Amino acid sequence: MTTAPTPARPAEPPFRVPRDRADLHRFLQAALTLEHLTIPPYLTAMYTLRPGTNRTAFQVIRGVVVEEMLHMTLVANVLNAVGGEPKVAHSRFVTPYPARLPYSRDHITVALRHFGPDALRTFLLVERPAGIARPPGHPSVASDTGWTSVGQFYRTIATGLAELTDRLGEHALFTGDPARQVGPSDFYNSGGEVFPVTGLDSALTALRVITEQGEGADHAVYDSDDRVFGEHRRPGHYFRFNEILQQRRYGPYDTPATGPNGPPLDVSWEDAHPIDPAGTLADYPPDSEVREAADRFDETYARLLCTLETAYTGEPVVLRDSVPAMLELRDLAEWICRNPHPDPARRALGLHAAPTYEITDAHFARAWSTLLS
Amino acid sequence: MSAVPPPRERRHDVIVVGAGMAGSLIARHLGDQGWRVLVLEAGTDTLSTWEGHQEAVDTFHAALYKVPNAPYRPNAAAPSPGVADLEGLPTGGYRAHGYLLQRGPLPYSSDYLRANGGTGLHWMGLTPRMHPDDFAVRTTYGYGRDWPLGYDDLEPHYRAAEQQLGVAADAEEQREAVGLPFPEGYTYPMEAVPRSHLDHLLAGRLDGTALREEPGAPAVPLRVVTTPHARNSTPDPRYDDGHGYRPAGAVGPNAYGERCVGNASCVPICPAQAKYTPLKTQAVWGPHVTLVARAVVSRVLVTGDGRVTGVEYQRYEDPAGPVHTTHTAEADVVVLAAHAVENAKLLLHSRLAGSSDQVGRNLMDHPTLLTWALLDRPTGPFRGPGSTSGLEGFRTGPARSVRAPFRVEIANWGWAWPAGSPAGDVAELLGIPADTTAPRPGPLFGPALRQALTGRLERQFSLQFAVEQDAESRNRVTLDPRHRDRLGIPRPVLTYDLSDHVKRGLAAARNVSRELFRLLGAEDHTAYAPGPLAPGHFRFDGADLVFQGAGHGAGTHVMGDSPGTSVVDPWQRCWDHPNLYAVGCGSMPSVGTSNPSLTMAALTLRSCEQIHRDLMDLHRPVTLRPHPVDKAPAASRRPGGRP
Repeated sequence: MTTAPTPARPAEPPFRVPRDRADLHRFLQAALTLEHLTIPPYLTAMYTLRPGTNRTAFQVIRGVVVEEMLHMTLVANVLNAVGGEPKVAHSRFVTPYPARLPYSRDHITVALRHFGPDALRTFLLVERPAGIARPPGHPSVASDTGWTSVGQFYRTIATGLAELTDRLGEHALFTGDPARQVGPSDFYNSGGEVFPVTGLDSALTALRVITEQGEGADHAVYDSDDRVFGEHRRPGHYFRFNEILQQRRYGPYDTPATGPNGPPLDVSWEDAHPIDPAGTLADYPPDSEVREAADRFDETYARLLCTLETAYTGEPVVLRDSVPAMLELRDLAEWICRNPHPDPARRALGLHAAPTYEITDAHFARAWSTLLS
Repeated sequence: MSAVPPPRERRHDVIVVGAGMAGSLIARHLGDQGWRVLVLEAGTDTLSTWEGHQEAVDTFHAALYKVPNAPYRPNAAAPSPGVADLEGLPTGGYRAHGYLLQRGPLPYSSDYLRANGGTGLHWMGLTPRMHPDDFAVRTTYGYGRDWPLGYDDLEPHYRAAEQQLGVAADAEEQREAVGLPFPEGYTYPMEAVPRSHLDHLLAGRLDGTALREEPGAPAVPLRVVTTPHARNSTPDPRYDDGHGYRPAGAVGPNAYGERCVGNASCVPICPAQAKYTPLKTQAVWGPHVTLVARAVVSRVLVTGDGRVTGVEYQRYEDPAGPVHTTHTAEADVVVLAAHAVENAKLLLHSRLAGSSDQVGRNLMDHPTLLTWALLDRPTGPFRGPGSTSGLEGFRTGPARSVRAPFRVEIANWGWAWPAGSPAGDVAELLGIPADTTAPRPGPLFGPALRQALTGRLERQFSLQFAVEQDAESRNRVTLDPRHRDRLGIPRPVLTYDLSDHVKRGLAAARNVSRELFRLLGAEDHTAYAPGPLAPGHFRFDGADLVFQGAGHGAGTHVMGDSPGTSVVDPWQRCWDHPNLYAVGCGSMPSVGTSNPSLTMAALTLRSCEQIHRDLMDLHRPVTLRPHPVDKAPAASRRPGGRP
């Protein structure tokens, strides 16, 4: 872990079950931010790999990233279904890194790290299947503990949805315009698929996919994609990352307690460009090519988020435009990461440049004007 | 799907020879009906895993010569022909190297791939239907051979094939612009693949205009029309009465297999697996299907009464090693699905189905004329599928009586096919001209090189005229026992030429291209001359022309309505052998101007119904007591019939 002071925790909704529609909107918007939080660290690990090396590891992380994107989109669907307005294209949506993992009892620092054991250990902490505490207000939960896990946070949203459905009636709660729902035509074959949320059942299924793809189902190694989507069953995110760290696959009879005992998995840790986990744009000299490229990366990332917001707020078909933006990000990131760090001291340590994900309002303004022109 | 069958399970209901598109579809359907299917594949099986696929993508990226077979390892035990096997001679004529022996005046210039998945691994993935006129060219236009079937017979099977392959297209546009009949309200599984920038540019300048291929000829209205693709785009929620369509993802359990993102390498391999390959069909094979790869069928075994009993095959462990072992497998029905040339080879070597003397004859391809030009503005080349739109106005009409018809593909990859761009341009600017005897200019590097490349590449585009070839009995596959492969199996000997009908079609295509470039205000750079890269060079009417192979081999076990004149019946069942089927493009009596895989898939799915009926008939016990009242004809009592 980094030696820097523990970063501040991103704002969390109050520790309670959502009481009304506005509260629910706030919780779901926070869930959206949470699902995005892990994407830059995962992308950083992927794109610091020397292209073509560690294919399995690359695909594992990539698979998890696309599932996080699925989760974001499912949360947006739930939020839209209850009449909310998903907001992803603003500078506060992108958490500054290093960040502290929210909804967690422990102090977990999430930094942008190159592919390596440190990055994977962070990912394991992020995706760790926890004994999930009951929602706030439950007799087993003290009123002053605060959030203890991401699973608890989602369980709380589910409870809120169910309670509000009971109180208001399903029709009164799920008032969103069905045309705003992102459907399987817009997002498919990327580890589950997006489905429209039209009522309590589909909303709860969406939340179940989000928690089980990450942490495995029913305290088992494998996720529930085979049951929900008819896809191959795969180890949950935590276990897939653990396979890389342990350099060994889970076998069909392994459990979380046994750890992976399947065939070995070859990882070459040295085939990654090391980077400074505390790096910022300001470390790159103004006017340097690296600075310019890193700035372009941030603007392209802003454009991606603008595209997503457009898709989430009434034009689901626009989601397909995110693909070229993502390919551009990949190329830019690989391009930047090839460069030794421009700062001689850090270069001497063997460090390379990397995107820093400092997405400012200026980036968003430029991105919107590009998209609108 | 299981591994090698244990000996006691040597007997199967069906043996399918070849795990390409036709074989994979047959195995899927018969397996789903509960028949025990053994699929014997001559080549290796390396791409049906995620790692194998990635490795092939790497091999392609690293290949210096990016031919269609570049991602797939050469296999000495089951060799494949390659497009680089042919060499043009300085003053015309050609020399053939490699697996196929060639003895014709012109070369058969197409390749195929012997590997699990077959040529369907490297195909472009274009899936236009044949035009209704294409099925009766002899009767209507006086050339080639007629089908014993019509468009209407095949139409439901086209729909089934479009479902199996996951076709993306616009039915309304196909109906209007091509003249294809569809059932009311039909939609394809997926929306049409979006048009390229080039398509839009050309449509802007051509749509609504008309062109005469020569002075005095009738004007052909021009319209840029989107081409159907077996490639993932956006599923159409209206498909299947509103049930929608779920696209097939990648082979292997990774979260992958998306819509086409324009990697621009459909041929030879789609990195994202958006393109259909037979491996996607194999991924849904049921437990009754057994695949054995590295099993080269050498003969079909037959009894005295003409029924086949099974096959003999040669199994090898190491494609590079000299060792193989001989095996036999038995089944009630044998289906040859090994490619037009390989099916003919197998029938000839087994001395089967020969009573009509048509086995191996009527070899066809789509001789393709390439023309290339520079537009006055950037065309956005080297992005997206190889072709996303075409011009459909030259596919049929009275002109067919005079010259072969053609379909015009608008090529998105600059001058890739005609001139090897962009690699060729890079080499040239680096001072390494393709002609090694030419003087070597000073090389360019860095920004100067990039700038020069952009200047040369950004306005490139080309047109591909796929010309219909008529069935001619002189174009044929034969065997010469003196020339054998490493397993001792005779290699195919090809005798190939183009009829004057085809040559007139190619010459007309050249004229049409000139007119199109004039209408577009494009700078025509097309030039044809003999040389090492032009084995398809010939002179016609005083002009030089060069044709390419399209990889669409067909006709070698031609289908017909009479045992005296054709090899297979309308179910693709050999007239001479009631339980031997030969399926694939080899059955096609004419090929029209459509890329043939979709039609092959439709024919194959149609044959599955008959194979199922044949197997049911074989297994039904004799009727013990005549039914007192039922006077219905036997055919109507046949059960099944549903695929």
